[in-house]
Amino acid sequence: MEGHSITKVVLLACGSFNPITNMHMRMFELARDHLEDTGQYKVVRGIISPVGDAYKKKGLIEACHRLEMTRLATESSDWVMVDSWESLQPEWVETAKVVRHHYEELLASEQNIDDVDTIKYAKKRRIEENHHKDRDELQLMLLCGADVLESFGIPNMWKQEDIAEIVGRHGLVCITRSNSDPHKFIHQSDLLWKYRKNIHIVREWVTNDISATHVRRSLRRGQSVRYLLADSVIHYIKEHGLYSSESEQKNADVVLAPLQRYTGASSS
Amino acid sequence: MAARRVPLVLLACGSFNPITNQHMRLFELARDHMHSTGQYQVVGGIVSPVSDSYGKQGLVLAKHRVAMAELALQSSNWVTVDEWESQQPDWTETVVTMRYHYRRILKEYERSVGMHNNSNLSPQLKLLCGADFLDTFKIPGLWRDDHVEELVGHFGLVCVSRGELQPERAVHESDLLSYRRHNIFHVREWVKNETSATEVRRALRRGLSVKYLLPDSVIEYIHQHNLYTEDSEMRNKSAVLRPLVKQAQEP
Repeated sequence: MEGHSITKVVLLACGSFNPITNMHMRMFELARDHLEDTGQYKVVRGIISPVGDAYKKKGLIEACHRLEMTRLATESSDWVMVDSWESLQPEWVETAKVVRHHYEELLASEQNIDDVDTIKYAKKRRIEENHHKDRDELQLMLLCGADVLESFGIPNMWKQEDIAEIVGRHGLVCITRSNSDPHKFIHQSDLLWKYRKNIHIVREWVTNDISATHVRRSLRRGQSVRYLLADSVIHYIKEHGLYSSESEQKNADVVLAPLQRYTGASSS
Repeated sequence: MAARRVPLVLLACGSFNPITNQHMRLFELARDHMHSTGQYQVVGGIVSPVSDSYGKQGLVLAKHRVAMAELALQSSNWVTVDEWESQQPDWTETVVTMRYHYRRILKEYERSVGMHNNSNLSPQLKLLCGADFLDTFKIPGLWRDDHVEELVGHFGLVCVSRGELQPERAVHESDLLSYRRHNIFHVREWVKNETSATEVRRALRRGLSVKYLLPDSVIEYIHQHNLYTEDSEMRNKSAVLRPLVKQAQEP
């Protein structure tokens, strides 16, 4: 067959989204522009998957709120949506499992993957004869910031086979924040270097460092966060009295779920 | 009993070509800061887009820039757009714009509060700007000395630092600004955000997304009117900025 085929891509972003900010939304826009600019991809959907409460990160407020805020923030987007599966799981779910779950859902999807405004939850149906074809034509890539890429190096944060699955079988789109050198980090990791073709680094030429940490700090201090997040999200936060000094102390003495899980395993 | 606060209005002059979320952030940051001094009560904000005769490269028609600012500020309950400056036949010095608005504010205030002879409660108007603005005072021919003195000495500046720029240094390096440093309020923007109208225009020219950098309504307006193309960026390319011409002619 003549000509190159365009691979359909779905971007998946995992994280706390505590709360979701304009910077999170920008990541999707930047990633889409970058991938489509290569001429090889067409980004058809973006999925935001807020982490479950069992992650036990300091200051993490209830998933129900984070989900609703994300839903409000994505209302004005015609291709990015929120997904609650991960947050509804009773235990913390490894990112690789979340990726696997969404990839399987996409493959089994009956609807045309381009129908972004209709169905969010795919009906499961086995399409065995199309399985291989779909795998070439549709890719799920994990969208993240450089800090996530670098977290691959933190002991006991990730299982090596999970990293291999994410970058080897799927793909990674990494938006660089101001002070990081992702290329160097990839170069220094044999595992990442092996799959460097599947890692797409997107340079954010215009720094836009709206971190959720900063937003929470401003909220605690009664300072304005207008124009850093969607108005509807700010309204929701005020309505529900979220993000106080109290909420920031949540999980202060608790060990982060992945560290708990892997440290436990390695000591046995 | 709490001390009475000075009613304060913030005026931002500029191209607003186009207005971005970052522009609107300036107002929010400035308001929070001035409130936290305990001395001021910010009662209003004004966006005053410059007129077409400014002659800056890439400047699109004032009517569009005003319309976009209006759309952006629709949801704000304290900041508004004012077209007076953009409608003047020639480029207007910043100080002249400030005097116009100050007269208006004073009149309105006197009307609503009645005759108050307590000078402490008289409203003030300060110029809201980014740190890069302070550096423009150094450009030969761009500012008249007496205007800088009136701007900084009489009115006052609220200057929001962006990214790495150090506004304190600009003040330090100018005798005039140093002398008036008590009337220059520095606001630190801790969130590093280099989003500028220049970058937005660049992204638009290249067909890249600017969503979440400006309000959706402004993005839609831009696409509807096909603003910010390679052609629009070439406008005024060889022109000299109007202030440089106008002020060079003055005796």
